[in-house]
Amino acid sequence: MPDRTEYILELEGICKHFGNLTANDHISFKVRRGSVHAIIGENGAGKSTLMSILTCIKKQDSGRIIMNGKAVDFHSPKEASESGIGMVYQEFMLYKGMTVAENIIMGCERTDAGFLNMKKNIKKVEEICDSYDFRLPLKSRIDELPVSVLQQVEIVKVLYREAQLIIFDEPTSVLTPQGVRGLFKAMRELTGKGKTILFITHKLKEVLEIADHITVLKDGRVTADMKNENVSERELAKLMVGREVLYDIRRKKNRIGREVLLVKDLTVKDRKGILRLKKASFSVHSGEIVGIAGVAGAGQKELGEAIVGITRPEPGSEILLCGEPVGHMSIGERRKRGLGYVPQNRIKDGVNLKGSIWENTMMGYHLEHGRKQGFLIDFKDVSSFARAVVEDYSVKIQDISDRAFELSGGNIQKLIVGREMLQGKSFLIIEDPTRGIDVGAIELIRKKIAALSESGVGILLISHELSEVIQLSDRILVAYDKHIIEPEDSSQLTEEELGLLMTGGGQDENKIS
Amino acid sequence: MKIRSRDLRILCIQYAQALIITVILGGILIRAQGESPTEALKYILEGAVGSPTAIANTLRWATPCMFTGAAVTLAFKSGIMNCGIQGQVYTGALIAAIIGYALPMPKFLHMPICILAAGIVGMLYALIPALMKLYLKVDELITTLMLCFVATYLTEYIVIWMIIGEKVDATRSMANTSPNILETAEIPKLIQGTSTSYGLFLGVAVLIIISLVYRHTVIGYEMKQMGENLSFSRAGGVNTSKMFLGVFLISGFIAGLCGGVEVTGSYGRFNINFSGNIGWDGIMIARIAGNNPLSVIAVSLIWGALKAGSMQMERMTSLNRLSVNIIQMLFVLFVAIDYEKLIAEFNRRKATAKFKRQEEMKC
Repeated sequence: MPDRTEYILELEGICKHFGNLTANDHISFKVRRGSVHAIIGENGAGKSTLMSILTCIKKQDSGRIIMNGKAVDFHSPKEASESGIGMVYQEFMLYKGMTVAENIIMGCERTDAGFLNMKKNIKKVEEICDSYDFRLPLKSRIDELPVSVLQQVEIVKVLYREAQLIIFDEPTSVLTPQGVRGLFKAMRELTGKGKTILFITHKLKEVLEIADHITVLKDGRVTADMKNENVSERELAKLMVGREVLYDIRRKKNRIGREVLLVKDLTVKDRKGILRLKKASFSVHSGEIVGIAGVAGAGQKELGEAIVGITRPEPGSEILLCGEPVGHMSIGERRKRGLGYVPQNRIKDGVNLKGSIWENTMMGYHLEHGRKQGFLIDFKDVSSFARAVVEDYSVKIQDISDRAFELSGGNIQKLIVGREMLQGKSFLIIEDPTRGIDVGAIELIRKKIAALSESGVGILLISHELSEVIQLSDRILVAYDKHIIEPEDSSQLTEEELGLLMTGGGQDENKIS
Repeated sequence: MKIRSRDLRILCIQYAQALIITVILGGILIRAQGESPTEALKYILEGAVGSPTAIANTLRWATPCMFTGAAVTLAFKSGIMNCGIQGQVYTGALIAAIIGYALPMPKFLHMPICILAAGIVGMLYALIPALMKLYLKVDELITTLMLCFVATYLTEYIVIWMIIGEKVDATRSMANTSPNILETAEIPKLIQGTSTSYGLFLGVAVLIIISLVYRHTVIGYEMKQMGENLSFSRAGGVNTSKMFLGVFLISGFIAGLCGGVEVTGSYGRFNINFSGNIGWDGIMIARIAGNNPLSVIAVSLIWGALKAGSMQMERMTSLNRLSVNIIQMLFVLFVAIDYEKLIAEFNRRKATAKFKRQEEMKC
């Protein structure tokens, strides 16, 4: 057992530069043993960089890390892990084809004379589960389990490696409000048994609820370091962003027009033939924003892919775009009939990082515009469209021949959203439009979505950010266990109620409780 | 739309450095074999540009490089790993040779039909891996590589057992080649008395057309985007399966043309395994040219010059032509270094070091 110093971790003047960008600028703070220590900040404030320095994925340019009162200098992530720092990542690091137990043990197998003793290992995992009150199906395969359970697997994995300090990187972004309750209970359990938790987040309510101590990062600096006593959400927001943010987008009720999308009995199987969506039926009208809420993996991803045309639905499914059946058509043909698409994974599907700005804005637009004599590129048209996107959506570039990899995440997202919105489409699928981008870009994109629907476009908004769905949608559908259901009075639902629906609790049950 | 000065600078640095390192290593290599590097270089230059015949030789060897370079550039730029150029060249060459000797035709028809047939057969040979990828999801890198061997041995089999075998008495002396093609099937020679033909211009034309397609047409735009990010272009409405098939087939067609031009323009018959390197040369040339069709012309000329020159060097010194091959490979190796990333990394380190110095001064 290491010395029982008061502080398990002390950081002194950590600096990290990427070229001209200062990601961490003399960051210093102390983490008390057995506490929940929250680190908050906007995207780009330097949280992730700091965490990758702690776990030795990156190396600091200067500054000291002190653990248990002794300065440490890790040379590999493995050393960091052996000294008791464990991380629960936002994107789970689990192997889908393997069982829960195998995932937990992997990379840290205990052996008898060089041979793997699975029984012994599993016994150890069971002991951990018992002592921290986790109920995990150790023999199940990862891809059969819901997200909230996977997170517990990640936690047990870290505990199995005997971590003393556990870093949670935005752990609640994948959970329903009910899942968040469970996580906080687990966190309390952990600190009760002497573990220390670093809680990285940008959700202020959660911080106020669970944290003992709060460190605020802004532009790579520590702007506040305080106990969680008599702090208000407003104050924290101001410290974090530097100005008051109100994501208040006033939406008036638009005039609902004709039906732009009708989905009937949509059934989708994935490549392995596993059923992902079962008989989904709903419609979207022009001037209407229909939001889809659901925990990750509930079928909303497959729903989007099937409507866009990336995957083929099962026979019997019907997709009508502006009254015309499009189920058999290619993506290009659907786009020509008025479909716009902002994909969830913007780097993979939304943008060509190697290409120039104009090449990126041209994609999709080129199907019907920007041509001379049918097959030549009309550079005048293409570049004026690129300039229009860049100006209307304030994408920060110098020239439209700049390459896309020079842009930040927020600017890339503005570029994609602008490209899809300015083409005069009649129906748009928008997936996670504000994930992981800066505040300014979030505000702009949400305003543009609202304005677009006012101009009479029908929008299907698939987002994992519940507050976003509630704020923007006229109607909310819930994806739960391969089904799409439409709750009554969906625009009046609170986050809590939606959370219940997302995990299978009915509206009535909710009222009783 | 335009090449920016920074990109151009990096490009120049890239080639200059590769050239310098290659010259130094090549010099050491030649010296190690007991010959004088300057002497060797003199003979290479002499053989490449020293006389009209030398220049003709250079152009002759540059011609197939342009075709294979074009075939590879087209495929790679769209993200298709067509490594089966070799096989497509061979099958195309054989069909051109067979039509050339066996089917008498009027002069104005015979030669174009030979070349066209070569292209079509090359294309059909590329259809096999393309369909295997689309319907069976077999990686085209593997299938094209394997089909190279199939083509090499299949053409050999056909020539020895089916073509020579038939009239074994008459052609015993000319083992391992098909009969000479008829005069009507030959491409006119560009320079009389050499094996340089007008096929050269066909190669240049193909590359110029490819370049124009990429720069100015919507389909060229789609091809480039598909190569740079497949799922981006699919989500953007590009019919990627159709495009994949189309580009693969055209790539095979150009490789087939190469075989046709080699037979009707230079060799005049099908020699078994007539150039074991032709397909790989194309891959290397495309790599050096950075998949830019116009650069392929320049690189092909250098390639041809090296080949013609190294033959002269071999005749005049004790050095082996393989030395030049090694030097060529070294050049490819050095050009393949990603200088842009290296420079970025260098700048980052410099900035970090500068920052550290400032920190120390503050302390």
